Amino acid sequence: MEDYKFLFKVVLVGNAGVGKTCLVRRFTQGLFPPGQGATIGVDFMIKTVEVENEKVKLQIWDTAGQERFRSITQSYYRSAHALILVYDISCQPTFDCLPDWLREIEEYASNKVLRILVGNKIDREDREIPTHVGEDFAQRHGMYFLETSAKEAENVERLFMEIAAELMEVSENILFKSILLLW
Amino acid sequence: MQRGPYNTISTTDIRFFDSLLGPNRLITDPDECESYNIDFPSTVRGASRCVLKPKSTEEVSAILKYCNTRRLAVVPQSGNTGLVGGSNPVFDEIVISMKSMNKILDTNELAGVLTCEAGCVLENLENHLTTVGLMMPLDLGAKGSCLIGGCVSTNAGGLRLLRYGNLHGNILGVEAVKANGDVVDALNTLKKNNTGYHLKHLFIGSEGTLGIVTKVVIQCPPLPKAVHLAFLGLASFDKVLKTYHLAKRELGEILSSCEMMDRLSIDVSINNLDMKNPLTSYENGHEFYMLIETSGSHLAHDEEKLSSFVEKAMNNDIIEDGTLTNETAKINNIWGLRERISEGVLRDGYVFKYDISLPFTSFYKVVEVLRDRLRDPRIIRISGYGHLGDGNIHVQVSIPEYYVDVAAQLEPFIFEYVSQCQGSISAEHGIGFKKTKYLHMSKTSSEIAMMYDLKKLMDPNGILNPYKVLMPVTTELQS
Repeated sequence: MEDYKFLFKVVLVGNAGVGKTCLVRRFTQGLFPPGQGATIGVDFMIKTVEVENEKVKLQIWDTAGQERFRSITQSYYRSAHALILVYDISCQPTFDCLPDWLREIEEYASNKVLRILVGNKIDREDREIPTHVGEDFAQRHGMYFLETSAKEAENVERLFMEIAAELMEVSENILFKSILLLW
Repeated sequence: MQRGPYNTISTTDIRFFDSLLGPNRLITDPDECESYNIDFPSTVRGASRCVLKPKSTEEVSAILKYCNTRRLAVVPQSGNTGLVGGSNPVFDEIVISMKSMNKILDTNELAGVLTCEAGCVLENLENHLTTVGLMMPLDLGAKGSCLIGGCVSTNAGGLRLLRYGNLHGNILGVEAVKANGDVVDALNTLKKNNTGYHLKHLFIGSEGTLGIVTKVVIQCPPLPKAVHLAFLGLASFDKVLKTYHLAKRELGEILSSCEMMDRLSIDVSINNLDMKNPLTSYENGHEFYMLIETSGSHLAHDEEKLSSFVEKAMNNDIIEDGTLTNETAKINNIWGLRERISEGVLRDGYVFKYDISLPFTSFYKVVEVLRDRLRDPRIIRISGYGHLGDGNIHVQVSIPEYYVDVAAQLEPFIFEYVSQCQGSISAEHGIGFKKTKYLHMSKTSSEIAMMYDLKKLMDPNGILNPYKVLMPVTTELQS
């Protein structure tokens, strides 16, 4: 067995073409694949990171955005520790769909799941959703918020590292509380 | 090898076949005979000058009756997709091509029983059954050209064996013609019929040496409503085994295929055939790949099972990455990566292929042993892939062209190795012509003795597919 202390499952959702796969590939491989085709079904991979000298293993599930390529049960939500909901800052419809995605998250995911709203493609000049609009939305729905560019590698590392750190803290708190309870 | 004690075909013989079949179903032109003389990977070549294409059991019977009396040797041929030279003439045997016997005779939807002639193409049967919600219990890479009679005669295995078992279980009945032209009607359509000797088994897997299969009755399972596929990347063979073990436990009743490929095998599809690897998270790919398919009756139920299996496999560190889908186009693409290896490797040049069964502990070791033994710069590839779930690996050694000294390093070594490991020297491809001298490595002497007895009983003149399966018994030609 590999040597690590924490294992978390992170799932990316959001409309087709917002850049979920590119965010994942930027983070796991440090590259930006041009002309990335639509994800069909779900792809999964592992990336181990280090937070405060502890090894944290992230199990990343990159899901299909297109309705017809999506799985029907959304069973991958259930055991997720963190959900990254992605929209494209240069494409209003991808932002307008966020309430639909939230409904799905409510329905399938655990209520303790860490939820992060990500506005991707900030390298683009034709922005349609101002940063504060995204921020407001996140705040209203109790989500973390970050804007990223998979293309320019902006905030991508930070996104996943902060998720890892936050999840680590949460689980250490739980551990701490349960020790207290035992006392 | 010496030509057996058979007569040579004469103009009188040709006149007889012509009057029986007419000129369109009799081929004597040497160029036209060529494709029947050579096997599909071009490893054997016969010198037949006569190909017959019967359209009915009666015609097959008349041909065999005539040949038996005349002491003319024959070789039955189906799709000519075999890999052991079992369906090609060795000398000048008459080729009996079953291609023209291609009628579907009966489809019983409720019982799931299909009756058809031996020359039906596997894929056509599959397409026909789809329309009534059934499927064939076997599926092969060669499904577009192989014929059901050939599949039955060779007891072909393939991609669904793990779930549905082999043809000894799925073939309910056969009709076959014996060497003397007698027709054996064993067209049973019942699931259970425990009466007398189970003669159909004599014709399943005997590679046309005991009779020619003319009709078959097949038990067909219902077409699954949901098919899912997981394609996984793994770091070592040990992890492949662990994944298989987990798949058996987690997916149990819906598991329908469990295939493995090593890096050099998948390279064939990616480099030789320009196909895309759907797994991209590791720049240099993976040491091993697995393809796990489930077939069931409830989409949501199966999907949930498969994703929970994948999650466990990731949590236990046994897989590196993967993809999961139920979308038909993607499923077909991924299956293509696996199914086209056998075609794509031919582009390397000459390929030695071994189809062997091994216990799991030595399953992949055979590839490593060969890599150790053959350190020859001329070798392009030594790789292994296959039906892990059935303990069956296909080992391929490719070189730019045939070298006798490379062949000598491989054979009989590999067969001896397999035999030592208690494996089978031919898991699903049969013995045919190419492996007759190694038969004793997977069959006991008492078994072989009984095989000779049966052969003598069924085909006393030895006209049916001589030089195949058993070494010929030399008897003087009686005039």
